[in-house]
Amino acid sequence: MVTDEDILKLISTIKVVSTYNFTNYSEKSFKRRVEKLLIDYKTDVNGLISKVSNDKEFLEQIIKDITVNTTELFRNPEIWITLKYRILPKFKKNKSIFIWHAGCSSGQEIYSMLILLNELELFDKAKIFASDINTKMLENAKRGEYKYRFNLGYLDNFDKVIKENPYNYDEYKDVPYTKYFDIDKAKDTIMMKKFLRDKPVYRKHDLVNDGNIFYSKFDIILCRNVIIYFNNKLQNSVIELFSNNLYRNGYLVLGAHESILGSVANNFERTKGLYKKKPV
Amino acid sequence: MNYKAVIIGGSAGSFQVVTKILASLPENYPLSVFLCLHRLKHIRSGFVEALSIKAKMPVEEPIDKEPIKNGKIYLAPANYHMYVELGNKFALSTEEPINHSRPSIDLSFESVAYNYKKKIVGIILSGANRDGAMGLKALKDAGGTAIVQDPKECQVPTMTTASINATNVDYILKTDEIIKFLLNLR
Repeated sequence: MVTDEDILKLISTIKVVSTYNFTNYSEKSFKRRVEKLLIDYKTDVNGLISKVSNDKEFLEQIIKDITVNTTELFRNPEIWITLKYRILPKFKKNKSIFIWHAGCSSGQEIYSMLILLNELELFDKAKIFASDINTKMLENAKRGEYKYRFNLGYLDNFDKVIKENPYNYDEYKDVPYTKYFDIDKAKDTIMMKKFLRDKPVYRKHDLVNDGNIFYSKFDIILCRNVIIYFNNKLQNSVIELFSNNLYRNGYLVLGAHESILGSVANNFERTKGLYKKKPV
Repeated sequence: MNYKAVIIGGSAGSFQVVTKILASLPENYPLSVFLCLHRLKHIRSGFVEALSIKAKMPVEEPIDKEPIKNGKIYLAPANYHMYVELGNKFALSTEEPINHSRPSIDLSFESVAYNYKKKIVGIILSGANRDGAMGLKALKDAGGTAIVQDPKECQVPTMTTASINATNVDYILKTDEIIKFLLNLR
């Protein structure tokens, strides 16, 4: 049984030996991640603390294990349908579209966006930036290779977003999967095409400590199912970072059950499940 | 009595029992009610709407860090685990499924047990796996009141039987008795 004191001790050790700071993480899920770690590594809190203090590589591995990496191709199709018909077309006349995937995990969301941009003929003008706290996850995202069987269900989402038009059932665009990825059933892989893989700029970024590291403002920031692991205080400071780095009338896309609860909500107008930055 | 909340766990098969229970609770029911139900993979939406038709209390899927209010029914959203945090707020998570379940009944029960101690009633209904048993045990160990639907009444008794074996439950009740118990908490 992990006590609250154990958790505080672990957090303060990690804070001392690294730049990572879990002080303002959501308490229950953080504790549960630590409990799982102890089982997986067959150790106790003191063992974990001493290993974390002495082994940098182990520390990085722990960071990967503690942070949650769930992402899917076209997760919540309704959001992608909104982006496709209501949001992205607004940028047709722009010279460029700057997009930041913050907390991109293994990258399925980036590829979803790239595929959608290509279908809307916005691919060339898009500048895609992606970041995560984990260098290992960034490498996975860059590699663009996923388990086929595990992702099988998400191909339905591809059909819903890319092939079908929910506003006009007669319209059906038969886009073959091979336009964007190769499926190898024997090897159980989906491999994203090179032109997609080469597009994004990837950087390690910690939402707790780091500001905007891309030297650009953004038209769209996506940060989905990341801030659920933060407490109110940290959520507000992250949203503030996004707010400061969005262009006027830019959009913030959060997870389906995330929302802005603090006063920084006043900077945004909630529209069709997305947050639009108000002109100040 | 002094209870603050009721938490109910079950799987997709318990939908009718849940509906019957919710339909019996009056509009001004003073406690918050948490529902943690396994859903069929292909039915991800429409649950709130279906429950709202029968329930007199408002039914919602919580937003992360939303403050918990009395008199509302909160349904754990599909594909998220639902926790209750200090300060009486929800916290959601997309950690991997536990016992093939997300939402996990065990996680939700353990989390309310920690926060509400004696002031929670936990109810396990019909279900097809063992999820919920450890959660109900945690709730009981923290001083809460543990209720299990009578396995004889359940279409699939795996969940209820596992719960009865895991802890010394306070009551084993039929649906009508569960309703009577909940109405007496007012």
